[in-house]
Amino acid sequence: MSLNQKETSKKQEVKRRSASQWAVAWRRFKRNKVGVFGLIIVIAVFLVGVFGDFFTSYPARPNPDAYLPFYKGDVRKPPSWLENWPKQILNWTYPFGTSAIGTDVYSDMIHGTKYTLYVGVVVTLITMALAIIIGSISGFYGGWVDNILMRITEIFLVFPSLLFILVFVRIFTLTVGDPFWTIPIINLQIPAGLTIVTVVLAIFNWASNARMVRGEFLRVRELEFIEAEKALGASNTRIIFRHVLPNILSSIIVVSSLTIAYAILIEAAVSFLGFGDVNTTTWGQLLQENFADVRVVWWAEFFPGLAILFTVFGFNLLGDGLSDAFNPRLRD
Amino acid sequence: MFRYVVRRLLYMIPVAVGISIISFITMYAAGDPINIIRLGRATVDKATLDAIRAYYGLDKPIPIQYLNWLSNILQLNFGKSLYGGISVNLVIGNWLWETVKLQLAAIFLALAISIPIGIYSARKQYSKLDVTVTSVSLFGVSMPTFWLGVILIIIFSYNLGLLPSEGAYGGTKIWWGHPFLDAVAHLIMPTAVLVYVSLAQNIRLIRANMLEVLRSDYILAARASGLKERTIIYKYALRNAISPVVTYLGIALGAIIAGAPMTEYVFNWPGLGRRFVEATTRLDFPVVMGITMIITVMTLIANLVVDIIYVYIDPRIRIR
Amino acid sequence: MEDTILSIEGLKTYFFTEAGVVKAVDGITFNLKGGESLGLVGESGSGKTMTALSVLRIVPKPGKIIEGKIIYNGTNLLDKTEKEMLQIRGREIAIIFQDPSASLNPVYTIETQLGDVIRAHENITKKEATDRIIKLLELVGLPEAETRMREYPHQFSGGMKQRVAIARALACEPKLLFADEPTTNLDVTIQAQMLELLNELKKKFGTSLVMITHDMGIIAKLTTRVVVLYAGRVCEIAKTDVLFERPKHPYTEALLAAVPRLDMKKTLQVIPGNIPNLIEPPSGCRFHPRCNYATKECEEEIPILEEIEPGHFVACHHWRDIKLKGEKEHLG
Repeated sequence: MSLNQKETSKKQEVKRRSASQWAVAWRRFKRNKVGVFGLIIVIAVFLVGVFGDFFTSYPARPNPDAYLPFYKGDVRKPPSWLENWPKQILNWTYPFGTSAIGTDVYSDMIHGTKYTLYVGVVVTLITMALAIIIGSISGFYGGWVDNILMRITEIFLVFPSLLFILVFVRIFTLTVGDPFWTIPIINLQIPAGLTIVTVVLAIFNWASNARMVRGEFLRVRELEFIEAEKALGASNTRIIFRHVLPNILSSIIVVSSLTIAYAILIEAAVSFLGFGDVNTTTWGQLLQENFADVRVVWWAEFFPGLAILFTVFGFNLLGDGLSDAFNPRLRD
Repeated sequence: MFRYVVRRLLYMIPVAVGISIISFITMYAAGDPINIIRLGRATVDKATLDAIRAYYGLDKPIPIQYLNWLSNILQLNFGKSLYGGISVNLVIGNWLWETVKLQLAAIFLALAISIPIGIYSARKQYSKLDVTVTSVSLFGVSMPTFWLGVILIIIFSYNLGLLPSEGAYGGTKIWWGHPFLDAVAHLIMPTAVLVYVSLAQNIRLIRANMLEVLRSDYILAARASGLKERTIIYKYALRNAISPVVTYLGIALGAIIAGAPMTEYVFNWPGLGRRFVEATTRLDFPVVMGITMIITVMTLIANLVVDIIYVYIDPRIRIR
Repeated sequence: MEDTILSIEGLKTYFFTEAGVVKAVDGITFNLKGGESLGLVGESGSGKTMTALSVLRIVPKPGKIIEGKIIYNGTNLLDKTEKEMLQIRGREIAIIFQDPSASLNPVYTIETQLGDVIRAHENITKKEATDRIIKLLELVGLPEAETRMREYPHQFSGGMKQRVAIARALACEPKLLFADEPTTNLDVTIQAQMLELLNELKKKFGTSLVMITHDMGIIAKLTTRVVVLYAGRVCEIAKTDVLFERPKHPYTEALLAAVPRLDMKKTLQVIPGNIPNLIEPPSGCRFHPRCNYATKECEEEIPILEEIEPGHFVACHHWRDIKLKGEKEHLG
């Protein structure tokens, strides 16, 4: 047989690398050093949030032991390794110093990680859920449904959000009694004030994401294979769930990562202004507590802020990396 | 075009009214404001409370209160603060000016710096400068503004004593010799903070858009026609790439009055943002409502301005 | 008429991408005589567009011309400075692109865009330029030129946009024009008009034309000589009628056989196999995996372009030995 026939049969034996959209994107993502770096940061932060509590010298507030440094007289002490620089460089008693009220900043920060993540993740879940539902309905049905939903979205977009967030948070926290709520079946304790902040943040955040989802929906809807599916008699639900959503999923994932980043920043801002939950030690809250004394305890302002910076940075990098992996901007 | 503008202006009215109603209702969701103000103060007897309530017109039913407030607002009377009864009108103008001053300086600087850098970054993609710029700007976007402000204060005010740590004007000490220079000295750090964060945002936007535009066929065709590189970048490419900057302008114009409350808070800047935070904390309703309405209206107008600029830049939008 | 105005020798343009080096143009040699209509034929990825961009030296990054000579009017264009090239582009050599909607800048009027081109090369007043533009637009068959030139590209239909693009290309009466698939994006009914227009203008200005296309019908109608490209290399060069009558390269034969004709009794022949991977192209003759006549020699040795009769060049090891199926069958 001629040469090319031999070659074709050889080719058929070679195993194919998975060509699914996700496998391809994952491979591309792995090559993107920046995105991978972001992923590492995010994973590290989650690990600290979940397991960090076991690695601190002092327990979380409001456990009175958290204030031990105060009783020891170690209020407003600089980071131990910084004191008497450079002689005590290996002294890690108070890695980030003590705060204005006599707690170990490092411990506070570690304990606060889970709250920060709580806000970030929950805000994103609520936001994306709302955005997907409204954006999809709007994008899919079009017409007057779309019109009404988009007007509503616009109204939410026009609200000067930070202002309203502050107002709403203030109002609702005043009406709340206990510092903690318990979710019935799983018996999980969640901080009341923080949850209010979370819900309010989500209320003022879903609008822009809904627009994005709708935009994506419209884009995919115009693709020809959707018409083909309709022509084959697929029901609307089937089209939405089996065909459109999977194509939108990549954008949704990217935006989610960026939303987490944004939520963490805004929560920090809200807490910093004094509207946060005093019973939790989110990093923003820590910044608020020590602001008045910042002249003396600059480390108590510096390190929590740095933590915020790195976490948000990580999520942003991750979001960027994912975005590149799903839609390579054809740099080549 | 004219009809478009008029239509938009008319559309703004129900939105503004809707927002005012929502805000008004929200304010009362927590209960009687007088009671709340009373929290933390020594017990006051009921008669005094009632008198205060009457003075502020808070004893009337809510819808009446709203209508009163609305008619006042339309006559540009923002009422009296619940703390001390100062006429809000007197002070709001001043606050407005301080905030506008700060924001305009920041927007101007931000655009002046970010556009050239964004363009350069896109042209020399992957060069050392480009990579540095991209990472630094991503960093900037991740930074909590107020934290940056605090750090700057720590370094430049507390440690180096080069710049004033708060306020818009020196009190006992006039910085740099002259009142005008004093105002400038006070402007530097807050402006720097605002500029840095929006710089980061803008550079990324311009760079991304510029990259896309530079790959387009019409740029290739322009090159093929022998146009100079300078013309291609600044005339042909830029106008197509500039729309996200216009979007930013819109958000920034709206934010002008929202006042970057964070930065104002950190630097104790006497602008709308900080006052709003204070008023919200104390539930000083007239002030909160007044500032809210101003900000809402300015945001709506800013959106309109942005849309008009869009139409001017991109002729494809013109035909409706 | 017989003198060569453009001579491309051993041109190699590679793209240095993240995924590897794409050898878009890998040793192309042909020339163009003054006043002639040369067809440049091939599938997508054959290197035809890149060849044109290489001549103008506007190959987009990460592409780079790494080898070869491009002799225009006696001088090697690859030796010229960028400043000198500015005078060549648009004035001596011009190009029309495939998608007129994409090749015209959406935010400027026709007048502005044409004016920019003219004034980049000639020092004339605005009024003179405007007159020139009106005349040019009338020449390409655009009605009401004076009013319409102040409009924007999106206000024109596809066919009219392409006419504008042609006007822009011919604004400074270049001696050489590349037409990159100028009719592919247009309605079939307009195609004929466009080709007619190109032909007229070519005759009027005495411009040499390089017609880049994959459509053998256009080749037959418009060109006097043809260069067949495959995977970045030249397969065959011949006068048009010779090519249709007695193609000597298997790829050319396959191309011709794939054109549907009303008088055919046989089924359409599809070229088996896939477009070659330009990062790891097949060794030896690039076409060998899909060639019915391929032997081991084809896999090992790159065939050289030989002149088998005056003006007829083929790059194939077996052109002599193979009895190409029914050479005469290709005739009417």
